[in-house]
Amino acid sequence: MRGLARYLHDLLGQRRPRRFRAAPEDDAVVRTAIALRAARPGSGQPREAFVEELHERLATQARAVPHGPGLSERRGRTTRRQFVQVASVAATAAAIGAGVDHIVEADGSGPAPTAGATLTPNSGRWQPVLASAELAEGGVKQFELGSVVGFLARSGGQVAAVSGVCTHQACRLAFAAQTRRLNCPCHNASFALTGDVVTHQLKIAPAPLPHLPVREVDGRVEVFAP
Amino acid sequence: MRDALPPDGGAGGSADPPAHHLHVVGADAYPDWEAIYRDNVGRIYGLMFAKVGNRPDAEDLTAEVFVTALRPLRVSASVGEVRAYLLATARTVLASYWRRTLGREMTTLDDDVADVFAEASINEQAMARARAILDSLPDRYRRILELRFLGACSLREAADELGVTVGNAKVLQHRALRLAAERGM
Repeated sequence: MRGLARYLHDLLGQRRPRRFRAAPEDDAVVRTAIALRAARPGSGQPREAFVEELHERLATQARAVPHGPGLSERRGRTTRRQFVQVASVAATAAAIGAGVDHIVEADGSGPAPTAGATLTPNSGRWQPVLASAELAEGGVKQFELGSVVGFLARSGGQVAAVSGVCTHQACRLAFAAQTRRLNCPCHNASFALTGDVVTHQLKIAPAPLPHLPVREVDGRVEVFAP
Repeated sequence: MRDALPPDGGAGGSADPPAHHLHVVGADAYPDWEAIYRDNVGRIYGLMFAKVGNRPDAEDLTAEVFVTALRPLRVSASVGEVRAYLLATARTVLASYWRRTLGREMTTLDDDVADVFAEASINEQAMARARAILDSLPDRYRRILELRFLGACSLREAADELGVTVGNAKVLQHRALRLAAERGM
């Protein structure tokens, strides 16, 4: 009991619990204590300083490996095997939630989650949306042009425009800066800024978002729309 | 208890929609390791905290997951593959933590793989789980555990709140935790 009591004491303070020889009947107490302690408000949030320190540590590690944390030729074999495992883990993970629906793979049936078609209205015109300077590299801006709403994103210097309406049931998408995704508030579908479907919970994957013709003229970003 | 939440989410839950699990489409990939890190560090930390219940260990285990996983990780893998790989790593890291501390796996990552990246935050899931445990207890037992575990009260503060001596509060906490553990199983 001494060991367990000290363990609980540490857990309730903000200390690292010391190890002890746990009796079989202690297991449930330890689990319960952890479950309760984890529910203290704010518990699941990492400290900012920790996140930055670990980032720094990983950056150092990435620099030390010549190819970075990527796939090098020499290790290709190992990595491939690991990814076979990963694929099956992913399949298992998907199967857990599969009572509701099924996973959609890039090469599966149904609408392919590749870039959507370009929306070209029968009669439209180039309409200025914002100044080029307002859209920095990596930037994302929402725009509205009466009948068309969408998002502009600059990547590699190029500006692209995608529709801002979910292809499932036409709810307006919201841009989440942290994940850089366009999220649908209605059924939790999310899209990449390329228009590709990233996540969804539907039986059939929604179509990717249509692209809109976009150009930069005289320091302005213009979208072709009705 | 096995960390599993009853399907009804326990009493007093908010009117959240049923937890659908998001599908990750294979074609999507992270631009670089930093994106992998930023997108997942919070979840992995939250998960580890839920499994070990203290910050120093949760931080160490989170670091171990990323240091281990990012080394061989192919950045072009899809988001789903990356997350599955992080979770597989987290599972191993957690299991070895328990083996070297208390000798047995007190908590595992088997059951909630699909929940980790679901919409509800890990803290919300932890709250619901705690709620289910607490709601099964007699009033005073529930109170002492709420004060001590959720409210971060010292034994003295909890004793004052309940109008008992520190010694009584200690015994109350001990019994409450035992009973909660029995019911939770």
